[in-house]
Amino acid sequence: MDFVDILKDKAFVGREFLTWLWFRSDTSGGIVEIPGKRTIELHFLDKMVLDLSGSDSPQTVAITGGQSELREGMAALKEGKKIEEARISIKDAHEDFTVVIKASWLSFSGFRPPATLPMDSTESPEPDALFLEKMYLLERFLDIIDELFSFFLDLRLSDTWAAHELPAIKEWIRREAA
Amino acid sequence: MGFLARSVSFVRYHVKGAIETSFWDAVREGVVNGAFRPKEGPGDEIGFGWVSLQDFDDNEFASSSYIYGSYVALSYRLDVVRIPARVIEVHFKREKKKALEQLGRPRLSSSQARDLKESIRESLKAQAFPSIQVVDVVWDTGKSMAYVATQSQRLRERIEDHFKKSFGLTLVPMIPFIRAEQLLRSAQDKEKLAQLKPESWAP
Repeated sequence: MDFVDILKDKAFVGREFLTWLWFRSDTSGGIVEIPGKRTIELHFLDKMVLDLSGSDSPQTVAITGGQSELREGMAALKEGKKIEEARISIKDAHEDFTVVIKASWLSFSGFRPPATLPMDSTESPEPDALFLEKMYLLERFLDIIDELFSFFLDLRLSDTWAAHELPAIKEWIRREAA
Repeated sequence: MGFLARSVSFVRYHVKGAIETSFWDAVREGVVNGAFRPKEGPGDEIGFGWVSLQDFDDNEFASSSYIYGSYVALSYRLDVVRIPARVIEVHFKREKKKALEQLGRPRLSSSQARDLKESIRESLKAQAFPSIQVVDVVWDTGKSMAYVATQSQRLRERIEDHFKKSFGLTLVPMIPFIRAEQLLRSAQDKEKLAQLKPESWAP
């Protein structure tokens, strides 16, 4: 299978991951425990795009606003759509990140790590030090994303998915979209 | 906005392949050979290549290095001049009229018209301001990962191509399915992933 086919036919993997993240965050007050790794705080913020995976023609719904507006996303989930793009915040014991994740590429926009020293401060850090600090934070963030994604994959490929996780997701959608 | 800005947009890549010769010598050679330089000839592009992450006017890496610890950090610069079609048309009409008078003919052949249009485009390119696009590219040589700071697929494809030509290595976008294949350990899980179908979770 070549890259273009994978990008199109397997886009659902990233969309299911983001949608599952919303389920986990929403049903646990934003606290997500990654088994054996760490506990993080994860919230979906003010922007979400949902898409119908596998559809020949794109059927997207874009939602912006606060938590009450995001609930409209539940109606889209009920129609079978999944999250293609969302702005989220992730907080672990040390850092606080906000980012927009695009599911089909697992790409990141508007990534904001915790504040580092500005380049024009009176005690300007060396540009090398500033760059290395940015990359350190970026890779810490990507470690968390990989841990969350591995957690999702372990569940998605196990028997636990059909037995527990999927019924819980369906129940969440049914309840919240009512 | 790039990696030194307050916020950044980026795509993660796996750097596939190996450098067989002395690693840092090969990196230096790739940076130098792929450094930004003006491009002659037809087309909208008038220059492209690697420049310093901290100064997009520095293609000799005089003011700063491209090596930061185990990272290779560069920017890819692309200069483009686009002459609006209507502007070319206006000049073409004027020049065509002059040419016909000189030749004493009622019309130009199609190849003469094409050549005239191309020569007008080239002469106007020299007078116009270019649009300069700069995209940061950071290669983590320790993890064989790279981060490219743009969401534009068109620009990313150019950078993937230029990276391959410079270093002989392939940038593989870490889309979810490909990243999943890397993260999963067992052959059994990889096979399950390959067979995975979209879940219907509408209640």
